[in-house]
Amino acid sequence: MAQFLQQVASGLASGAIYASLALALVLIYRATDVINFAQGEMATFMTYLAWSLMNHGLSYWPAFALTLLIAFAGGVAVERVVIRPVERKPEIVIVIVTIGLLISINAITGWIWGADVKAFDSPFPNSTHDIGGVTISTQDVGTFGVCLLTVLLLWAFFRFTTVGLALRASAINPHASRLLAVRVSWMLALGWGLASVLGAVAGMMAAPTVFLDPSMMLVILIYAFAAAVLGGIDSPVGAVIGGLSLGVVINLLSAYVNFVGSELRLPTALAILLVVLIIRPQGLLGHRVVRRV
Amino acid sequence: MIRLPRPLFLALKLAAIAGLIVVLLLLPHVLSEFRLSQFTYVGIYFIALLGLNILSGYSGQISLGHGAFMGIGAYVTAVLTLGHKGLVLFGHHPPGWLPIGDGMRPALTIPIAFVVTGIVGFLFGMPALRLAGVSLALATFAMAVSLPQVAKKFENVTGGGGGLSLPLPETPFGLDVSTPHWLYYEAWGCAAVLFVAAWLLVRARVGRAWRAIRDGELAATASGVSPALYKTLAFGVSSAFAGVAGSLLAIQVAYVNPDTFPLSLSILLLASVVVGGLGSLSGVVVGALMLEFLPIYAQHPPFVGQSFSKQAPGIAFGVVLILIMFAVPAGAAGLLRRIVRPLTKPVPTVSD
Amino acid sequence: MKKSLLVGMAVALATAVTASTALGATRTSSSAGATPGVTSTSITIGGTFPLTGPASLYAPIPRGMETYFNFINARKGPDGKKGVYGRKINWKYYDDAYNPAQTVQLTNQLILQDNVFAIVGSLGTEHNQAIRPILNQRKIPQIFISTGASFWGLQYKDFPWTMGWQPDYIAEGIAYGRWIVANAPTAKIAVLYQNDDYGKDYLRGLKIGLARKTSLIVSEQSYEITDTSYASQISKQKASGADTWVLLTTPTPTVRAIATGKALNWKPNQIVINSVSAIDTVMAAAVARAGADYVAGAVSSGYLKNPTNPAYAKDPWVRQYRQLVAKYGPTGLDANNGNTYYGVAKAYDIVKVLYLAGKNPTRQSLMNATLKMNWTNPYALKGIKIKTGKIDHFPISQMRLARWNGSWTEFGPLIKGR
Repeated sequence: MAQFLQQVASGLASGAIYASLALALVLIYRATDVINFAQGEMATFMTYLAWSLMNHGLSYWPAFALTLLIAFAGGVAVERVVIRPVERKPEIVIVIVTIGLLISINAITGWIWGADVKAFDSPFPNSTHDIGGVTISTQDVGTFGVCLLTVLLLWAFFRFTTVGLALRASAINPHASRLLAVRVSWMLALGWGLASVLGAVAGMMAAPTVFLDPSMMLVILIYAFAAAVLGGIDSPVGAVIGGLSLGVVINLLSAYVNFVGSELRLPTALAILLVVLIIRPQGLLGHRVVRRV
Repeated sequence: MIRLPRPLFLALKLAAIAGLIVVLLLLPHVLSEFRLSQFTYVGIYFIALLGLNILSGYSGQISLGHGAFMGIGAYVTAVLTLGHKGLVLFGHHPPGWLPIGDGMRPALTIPIAFVVTGIVGFLFGMPALRLAGVSLALATFAMAVSLPQVAKKFENVTGGGGGLSLPLPETPFGLDVSTPHWLYYEAWGCAAVLFVAAWLLVRARVGRAWRAIRDGELAATASGVSPALYKTLAFGVSSAFAGVAGSLLAIQVAYVNPDTFPLSLSILLLASVVVGGLGSLSGVVVGALMLEFLPIYAQHPPFVGQSFSKQAPGIAFGVVLILIMFAVPAGAAGLLRRIVRPLTKPVPTVSD
Repeated sequence: MKKSLLVGMAVALATAVTASTALGATRTSSSAGATPGVTSTSITIGGTFPLTGPASLYAPIPRGMETYFNFINARKGPDGKKGVYGRKINWKYYDDAYNPAQTVQLTNQLILQDNVFAIVGSLGTEHNQAIRPILNQRKIPQIFISTGASFWGLQYKDFPWTMGWQPDYIAEGIAYGRWIVANAPTAKIAVLYQNDDYGKDYLRGLKIGLARKTSLIVSEQSYEITDTSYASQISKQKASGADTWVLLTTPTPTVRAIATGKALNWKPNQIVINSVSAIDTVMAAAVARAGADYVAGAVSSGYLKNPTNPAYAKDPWVRQYRQLVAKYGPTGLDANNGNTYYGVAKAYDIVKVLYLAGKNPTRQSLMNATLKMNWTNPYALKGIKIKTGKIDHFPISQMRLARWNGSWTEFGPLIKGR
């Protein structure tokens, strides 16, 4: 039983990271109807940036805060410079643009920081807690807490601030929003900025255990895709629930189903993605979409 | 500019195609062995891009997993070429019930790779195409990363991470040509057949249905076209093409393992289709040339320092991809079309 | 319509490439008759390496080799001539991005287009497996390749033109197994291995070394390079009650595993493999996340001196190595990186064997020379012989165990792996 709970606990720790990145995907999808394939690479880049800041003498939290600021500015800039020119083009064009971003950002990261293993600091002490035979590290608790806090802040932002309201409005009905003097185009940029911040949080929370590597977020991005589809691609709460449950389910399957083992962890995520698409395309908490013309 | 009369234009076009065929037939006689093998790869990529272009350019869907489908074709060829006897010889233990025979001529496995990969693509496409827009891109992206894991899982048949070595290629059926020549003719022979098939397909009823869906799903549905069926069909056909390309690649390289079909291959394939031109079958030639020659000539790019140089192609490649989407979403074919616009009747493409 | 011009353009492009390359082809093949890649003033050798992509960690290896070849080309040899018998070494290496299909194509370019004398040092087990048949069929040497799979040395009857260099993974695994039996006969062992031929070779060696004590292994878990977390596997290993942890894992996964072990509050004794202990940044990263206490006393093995180890700070050859990198290395090459050192050490043996191949080397005389090696490499640990023979196709088969106490310190006698 303790072993089972241990598997659940470590699944939740991974799941929190999937959830953060899934949330970033959902945010952009809601704002612009686009899946950002470069989300993982942007997160990796920002994480390396945070590493450089700390390497230049900044302590953790200032570096963390500064990275989030840069991530926000970077996200807004990416939207303004590369996404805006193709905003009204067909989806295929936008997807290819994000693929172009993925390729270049990955290469830039490799060029600046190289491929050597780098340790990334954690703000949390390196201690562990033993609860009924289940070992939980402060790092995992902290990761979980930070991810949860981000979600709460985001929810409060959308719910209680004028900007947040405007952002939601322009995602749901751009034309009506424009009539109400909402600057829809800037709202999209804001959405990209926030998503980039979320990605950076995910990256910095993942880095202490996965270590820095130019492709560190690639596989996490795929789990995040599966999590987003599982929760409902347009539902932020769904993304969080999707991420956490995916982390736990995959862990349990690979621990207790021999056939899955460690080889089929990733294919299982793909299978879950496909099964959700067949049985419940709108995901757990998403809305059934009326096909746009 | 003056507008050329239509018959003259048609004649020009035929002349160009004839010219291409002549060049392709001539290449084996003037090229060194290595250069010839490069043009064999061009032929292989041509087939993969042709399939991807049917999907992206004509039915408006995106696949980020065509490298994985090439992988399926390659494994089909590798496993059938070795058969039970060959696999056992290499120390693997294929289950006895598996209908893989006791070794086949590599060339004969190509149509089987076509069929198997096509079926896998069709089945995969059914759920993946349920959602509008990006769901296929998503699912295929996951597919590209997952497939190597699946190949490792079933190591009794696939050889696991260590992969499968095929016999070195040789000219079959006692034909009187050298092996490099045979591989070249084999690849371009398949390419020619599939090109004609693709050309007929996009002009047939199916092709019209694809274009209708691409240009407006609702309108297409209203006129009695079932988007789900046709999109899945497009994905199946396009996968089958990728399967043939993978099969030929396995024969040429004489080795298959999970690292042979990485995500980066899938991404490069899509990028090449875009550069060549979405929705243009002839732009595929440009894409295939780029796919083969760019990575080799990018090995020592001029004017850049040592540490930068290795990543420079990646950075440039991504930026070029974005710029193409900004300026000429129809790729090289579109650029040309734009230059010779007065000569041509505009054909609607993705960007229009 | 638009097609015609496009096709025309493609044809023009193809013709241009063709014309330019066909000319190139005739030029290179005109020197037929003589040994390929060998002229009176130069000798061309080449290899493929992952300079980008998932294994780009190893990118310094060919650059370290380049450093040493540059040095050889600049200094005067025993016969008073620069290079090897007055021939400058022309070193060509390409980036295969760790994709065997690219390895095959680029190796074809090396042997057919660049006309190399031999393929030297190419990296990767699967990658060398992919090119081995064609090189043997064409009787082109494929030597000192950068992989420790055991079959390079074992399958010489089928593939006489192929030879490895470093101690093989099975031999290294055996060394750990024997050490456990001798020093911790009651240990409970948990093994974490990479799920591919690399990890499985090590595991096989470990079990051979444990011999009748294989039952000491209480937990065997594998991981995939695509795993984002090993917590699931490692918590099982912790629950198994193991006290000795054998990590048959590549560098980044090793530090991940160690950090995860620490996070699960499990502190077994650790054994890590040579590719981890050869690069100091790996242990530094592990220390940074898990603490110096956690990894203190970890056991590994080595066959080369470690350039960052304070114990070798005054070693004349390590000092010379640093000077070589500064003077002859490509810009940006890091002398503290163990892979750079590996490249230099390997290049030393290549130059030696090129001399041994004679004043007028042929591919056959090179292969003959590889079977008559018998010298010490000053970059290797003291006492290690580079030695081969008719039935011994393992150039380096000795190693020493080492223990981590802030740096790796060798202990115990030389171990004969084969």
